[in-house]
Amino acid sequence: MKIRFVRSSTAPVRVVPVAPGAAPPRPVRARVAGFTTAPGAVALLVGRTRRTLLVALHEPEAAGALAIARLPADAHVAIDARAVTPAIAASLAAGAVLRGWQFDRLRTRPEPDGRIRLEQLDILTHDPEAGRAAWKLLRPGVEGALFARDLVAEPSNILTPQAFTARLARLEREGVHVEVLDAAQLYREGFGALLAVGAASVHPPCLAILRWPGDGSADPAVLVGKGVTFDTGGVSIKPGAGMWNMRSDMAGAAACAGAMLALALRRSSVPAVAVLPLTENAIGAYAYCPGDVLRTYDGTTVEIVDTDAEGRLILADALGWSVRQLRPRALVNLATLTGAIITSLGHAQAGLFGTDDRLRDALMIAGAATQEPLWPMPLAPAADLDSDIADILQCTAGPRQPDALLAATFLRHFVGDVPWAHLDIAGVEQRELGPYYDPDRHALGATGFGVRLLDRWLASLG
Amino acid sequence: MLDTPFVPDTLPDHGALAFLLMQDVQDQAPGSPFTAADQRCGGALTRAMAAAAFTGKKGQSCIVLGTEAHARIVLIGLGPKPDARAYEEAGAAAALALAKDASATLFPAGPDAAHAAHVALGAALRTYRFDRYRTKEKAEDKPALQTLTIATPDPDAARVAHAPLLAARDGVFLARDLASEPPNVLYPAELAERCRALEAVGATVEILDEAALTKLGFGAILAVAQGSARGARVVVMRWQGAEGAPVALIGKGVTFDTGGISIKPAPNMEDMKWDMAGAAAVIGTMHVLAARKAKVHAVGIVGLVENMPSGTAMRPGDVIRSLSGQTIEVQNTDAEGRLVLADLLWYAQDRFAPRISIDLATLTGAIIVALGHHHAGLFSNDDTLATQLLAAGLGSGEALWRMPLGEAYDKLIRSDIADMKNIGGRPGGATIGAQFVQRFVRGPWAHLDIAGMAWATKDSALAPKGATAFGVRLLDRLIAANYE
Repeated sequence: MKIRFVRSSTAPVRVVPVAPGAAPPRPVRARVAGFTTAPGAVALLVGRTRRTLLVALHEPEAAGALAIARLPADAHVAIDARAVTPAIAASLAAGAVLRGWQFDRLRTRPEPDGRIRLEQLDILTHDPEAGRAAWKLLRPGVEGALFARDLVAEPSNILTPQAFTARLARLEREGVHVEVLDAAQLYREGFGALLAVGAASVHPPCLAILRWPGDGSADPAVLVGKGVTFDTGGVSIKPGAGMWNMRSDMAGAAACAGAMLALALRRSSVPAVAVLPLTENAIGAYAYCPGDVLRTYDGTTVEIVDTDAEGRLILADALGWSVRQLRPRALVNLATLTGAIITSLGHAQAGLFGTDDRLRDALMIAGAATQEPLWPMPLAPAADLDSDIADILQCTAGPRQPDALLAATFLRHFVGDVPWAHLDIAGVEQRELGPYYDPDRHALGATGFGVRLLDRWLASLG
Repeated sequence: MLDTPFVPDTLPDHGALAFLLMQDVQDQAPGSPFTAADQRCGGALTRAMAAAAFTGKKGQSCIVLGTEAHARIVLIGLGPKPDARAYEEAGAAAALALAKDASATLFPAGPDAAHAAHVALGAALRTYRFDRYRTKEKAEDKPALQTLTIATPDPDAARVAHAPLLAARDGVFLARDLASEPPNVLYPAELAERCRALEAVGATVEILDEAALTKLGFGAILAVAQGSARGARVVVMRWQGAEGAPVALIGKGVTFDTGGISIKPAPNMEDMKWDMAGAAAVIGTMHVLAARKAKVHAVGIVGLVENMPSGTAMRPGDVIRSLSGQTIEVQNTDAEGRLVLADLLWYAQDRFAPRISIDLATLTGAIIVALGHHHAGLFSNDDTLATQLLAAGLGSGEALWRMPLGEAYDKLIRSDIADMKNIGGRPGGATIGAQFVQRFVRGPWAHLDIAGMAWATKDSALAPKGATAFGVRLLDRLIAANYE
């Protein structure tokens, strides 16, 4: 999609955001059309040469999204931002772009009705320079989110661990240094957990390390993202219904990659590294089994209870490696980790676990500011994961286990004294039709949850 | 029940002893009971401590057997800076170690009367037993300890400090007894009668039977009860220790929950006898407040029902009319606790205009998935009340964790044909339950989902496995700290 900040536009449809109390253009026709400035209100006025869509302007991104939601058939749209500040103009654009996203790379035929066709968005403003300057601040986060969404949406037969690393070329073009440890290197370095999870797949596991040097003035902030490109559950196989959704089980890694793209696009001064363990969790003759004991990168022995709790294993290796190799100033990991967090918080917010109050508060603030809300959750005592034969249990067996907090408690074992937070984003990485979904506000499918939050948090470190 | 009298701190000539010791206090004061006992045993205590590497660390214990004057001497570590809770836990540990002695004398470290009182409370709480249905227990299988004498420099002061703790003990025991009682014995009418015990400590008790509930319009509670041969009751307990608007405590009291027509799976269904633990906690708390003459106006209201499947039971799909007038589409008869709370909260607000309302309920399995067995879920529309509750939870050792409420969840209980439905899917299940209850709330309110905390499958520092009475000490502390 092309976005231009312009003084005039030939677009056949013009969106006019109207703030509460402000007079809409053509007030009589607007009144006849029943337009109010209540949240969510719209009215379409059809003129001789073009159409005008009035939208109530409250939260600017929501207004931008609303406009696009109501104009699915139009390829060229202008938003009249001449009555608002450049910052609001940029937010209107961000809302429109995010709502207008869809993953259509795999369509071979023209899209059915109702699919958004938006190709060009003109933001009408008296001062295009100021508009562009405001957009420059927002665009990196938006681009990062869209990049992450594309990865999450892409199916697992195409987006293998190797294909995921190939997609990172986009980041290299922006100056991110990308290093990939292949399976042979992982073996030499002792990534026992990641290798076990990936053992049954024909697509071998790997570890992608994305480095943004910033100004080199501080130890890096480190992001660790779970990248399971498809999760069958392994030997503890999942039920068939809904398993297709497990192509999105790499949303944590995608969010970290998207945040690194945003960082690079804004030429951030903050040094950061993203560490992405990438693997499939397949079933096969080489699959790891419940009851196995694995040795993680840091030497910890882990007794396996359920091969479908694989995310915490690959994160354990990545966290252990990060702590030893990167001297992180802070460590934040993102993962579609547990079904229990969905039982806990539904699809409205992600679970936030951690050991450091300041980091927790900073992430809460960033989440609230980017509408990627987090809810703080507790850790369990380490003794809840005592194993009879190894250093630590991977999880506990039985129904109704508090698995989200046990998973977080497991991860804590691998982070030492580094300020650490864990975002369990299962349940918020995609939007599906249903009571949580507001078509006026959000695109269906992948959300890119975490990108804008991380981008905001990293910016606060500068 | 363990007797814990207070006496002056002179060393008895014989009998079992216990000493609570602070961490790394090397030199016991000359002439102290510990030093006297050590000398009497020819230094056996200090030698045993050295041999066992006993430093007085919290949770450490050392037992010296077979000295001439004292067959058993128990040393318990208090840690470096013990608080009231540490004294309770040390008293509990001592009482366990002395279980085979009929009587024993305990010396808390230091002269503080309050500490001595907490030691007595801890010992009592940990040695609680629910054994009224054991008919053939052998004497040697029963704990022998009947009297744990607490030796302290100022026994009168200790008795004064112990008085409110005695009330707490009795409230906790009452709540544990009620939750432990089997459901054939403890059905709604019987549980209502048990509430009358509170009259003895000065509370007023009013029982609303089915006829009264029908007349008043408790449609939701009556719908839950209609499948059972045993009718519903609502009990209103009042303790007016002060003027003004009361604190309202609301408890879910499902004396047995089969799930109704949406029947539960058989495994572990016996646990559903304690689906009245919220009510038990409210009854226990009201007992504490009245027994210690708390300067607070408190109202405890419990809704007592049995949820059974039968020809007269409510069905999934039924629409019922609650006391508030709001209609509810029942989509799952096993989400019955929220129906009970709905009517109770409305009634409490209508009749008493309370300054705050707090409900306690074993409401959802989802809260167990969310928080496990370390915290109860706290939901509140009032940040001040939530902060007070979180602090009381930390102080009482009955920990709470705040969980979300919000419009995104409220949408999930919209019904196609009624004002709301009583379920909204598995995701966010505990919040959905709270959201439902909130539709019947006017004013500052908190909901405690205690499903993961009401019953313990393992012993803990201050309770044997079984009913925990979770909520009694929490609410007592909340009220003492903020509403007296």
